[in-house]
Amino acid sequence: MTTRLRFHWSLSQAGDGFRRSGATSRMIGLPSRDAQLELCRCAERNGIESMLMAIGFTRPDPTLLSLSLGMDTTTVSFMVACRAGLISPTMFVQQINTLSAVLGGRVCINIVGGHTPTEQRYYGDFLEHDDRYARTGEFLSVCEAFWSGREEVDFNGRYYTIEKGRVSTPFVSPERRAPEIFVGGNSGQALELARCHASCLWRFAESPDALREKIAPLLVDGVETGLLMGLIVRPEHDEAVAAANRLIERFGAEARDAQRSFVGRSDSVAYNSTFSLANSSADGWITPTLWSGAVPYLGAPSMALVGSAEEVADAIIEYRRSGITQFLFIGWPDHEEMERFGRDVLPLVRAKERALEGAWAARQEVGPCR
Amino acid sequence: MPIRFHWRLMPGGERSGNIRDRGRTAREMAFPDLEAQTEFCRAAEHAGADSLLVNMNYGMPDPVLLAAALAHGTERIRFMIANRPGLMSPTLFVQQVNTLAALSGGRVHLNMVVGHSPEEQRYYGDMLDHDARYERMDDYLWICHALWDGGGADFHGRYYQVEKARLNTRFVAGDRDRPEIFVGGSSAQARAAAMRHGTCWVRFAGAPDAVRREAEPALDAGVELGLRLSIIARPTRGEALDAAYGLIDRSESGRAGEERDFVRTSDAVSMRAMFAMADTEWLTPTLWTGAIRKHGATAVALVGSHREVADGLMEFAACGASNFILSGWPKLEEMVRFGEHVLPLIRAMEGSASPVPAADGEAA
Repeated sequence: MTTRLRFHWSLSQAGDGFRRSGATSRMIGLPSRDAQLELCRCAERNGIESMLMAIGFTRPDPTLLSLSLGMDTTTVSFMVACRAGLISPTMFVQQINTLSAVLGGRVCINIVGGHTPTEQRYYGDFLEHDDRYARTGEFLSVCEAFWSGREEVDFNGRYYTIEKGRVSTPFVSPERRAPEIFVGGNSGQALELARCHASCLWRFAESPDALREKIAPLLVDGVETGLLMGLIVRPEHDEAVAAANRLIERFGAEARDAQRSFVGRSDSVAYNSTFSLANSSADGWITPTLWSGAVPYLGAPSMALVGSAEEVADAIIEYRRSGITQFLFIGWPDHEEMERFGRDVLPLVRAKERALEGAWAARQEVGPCR
Repeated sequence: MPIRFHWRLMPGGERSGNIRDRGRTAREMAFPDLEAQTEFCRAAEHAGADSLLVNMNYGMPDPVLLAAALAHGTERIRFMIANRPGLMSPTLFVQQVNTLAALSGGRVHLNMVVGHSPEEQRYYGDMLDHDARYERMDDYLWICHALWDGGGADFHGRYYQVEKARLNTRFVAGDRDRPEIFVGGSSAQARAAAMRHGTCWVRFAGAPDAVRREAEPALDAGVELGLRLSIIARPTRGEALDAAYGLIDRSESGRAGEERDFVRTSDAVSMRAMFAMADTEWLTPTLWTGAIRKHGATAVALVGSHREVADGLMEFAACGASNFILSGWPKLEEMVRFGEHVLPLIRAMEGSASPVPAADGEAA
């Protein structure tokens, strides 16, 4: 039995395209809800399981936005980003459970450590990178205790103390007693956090070979790894490359400066290592389909798969062979890219996936003694 | 400005014709009851309510999210969101409030409270005592206002520190750049917090003279006065009294003991004071404390004919009250009756230049 590949999409840019190309002060704090809803509905038609609802001072609150968009959609789930340290874990559980009750369980959570100390201080959080991860571990332990169905939760940690904690509103879902937990990050701490608390770790993209070794410790413990990356698919390879080049033509020094400034402020291993990887590539191609050309302008999430539908489907299967089982895409613009993915790429991926599973099953039947 | 009426949102599980049965509904209260609660919101719009108070405690859905869900199915009613400092970063709170304002067309008020039960605060990881919780609220609201002012401010308080805090999602509601803030609590600290950071001080109703005296500093400072109380209005005083006494008789046994336990574990000045006040059953000919010991402090009630209840409210208005946050048994029926029979009398009295009429039977 193998894991079927799962696909998610980021809502980040809906209503504010190319938002990462400018200074944070220019990012729209209230993007068009119509554009966001349209992308969610597009996801429902194109095999996308959930929308990543990012968190940050430039954006609306992701929990509330999820509720609002969820009430006007029927099948897509909402992956609500959360940074520990901004909210009591009890309160967080109460909010997530309320959200699940309204949306019939279409909720999962993406725990992130926060990437920028200056931004954390906007929220009153002064901890360093490693301490933030230690705190996040405690935060998730408390959340899990509530979701385990315990009547009263007691917790005595370094960052949180909870006494006889109760939350009456349960997590509501036809299938689960607790939301699925994703963790984001490339650091050792993120990996360890995912190993202990999550079903999947989100990383930024690298080559399949580079990833294979890094994610092995997680696979041993049954934790999946997914990639947060861009997608540029066109009928022909050359068209896709041309589209990629056109994407960055529009950006100039301002976008470069915005990214440099972000990386300068950030203490995120994921963002900074991806930025370095992109800078170390002479021609912008990490593999024949993995393109880092947009990273200097749009940041780490824009490391992208570029090619024909067939090439991109093959690249996804290649990642599958390395142990990657989930993808979280962004596109430029998202809507068109998502439709191309659902129409042209996903059917190929499913067919290739079945073939791969068949091959793996046949190999297993031969027996271990060989 | 005309007197504004707010009602407490009907909790999940409360149904027409049923007085809340705690045993049966404790579980139901934990769930959003969107169909019935949306209907309640529409009835509130029809009954002339300005907003609905959405409570915050461990036994109920989160108020910000519940309000967002109810705003989705309504057009005019506002939501008065209860919030306790100490459970989330003030910056995150403002981000949630601003997002709710954006999603609801600006239909947001805040009801700031410090929490009344140390035991419940510890469920959330909050170990501060009563007075410290008020000091913290001061820090919290300072930061909230700084963000609504446009952000970029540093704050280094005892309980919160932020550096250059800013948010791109602004509060948008007509010409307001921040919500109205109703600070709840009957203690002097609550009143002081309302005067520093709020637009309205909300306390339980009490004897009108005491209310007038205690509210004076807030009113002098330009802060509105809001009173929390319940309403039992019927065509005749006799029917209202029957309904009031029936309320006690029909309460299941054990409820009074439960409420006493609650008061024992509470460190709220106001809750304790109300419980003590209930020694006097009638504070005025229409202001009844008889249900407090069974139903809690918010059960202090104006009981009487439609006219008597309207007069009772106008008497409080003469003491400076400009907002009332009301409850009833059951809430929906009482709110509908209020809108049909009591509110028109109030509006007529507000409109006339005559002095506030004396409450019937005041001489008795």
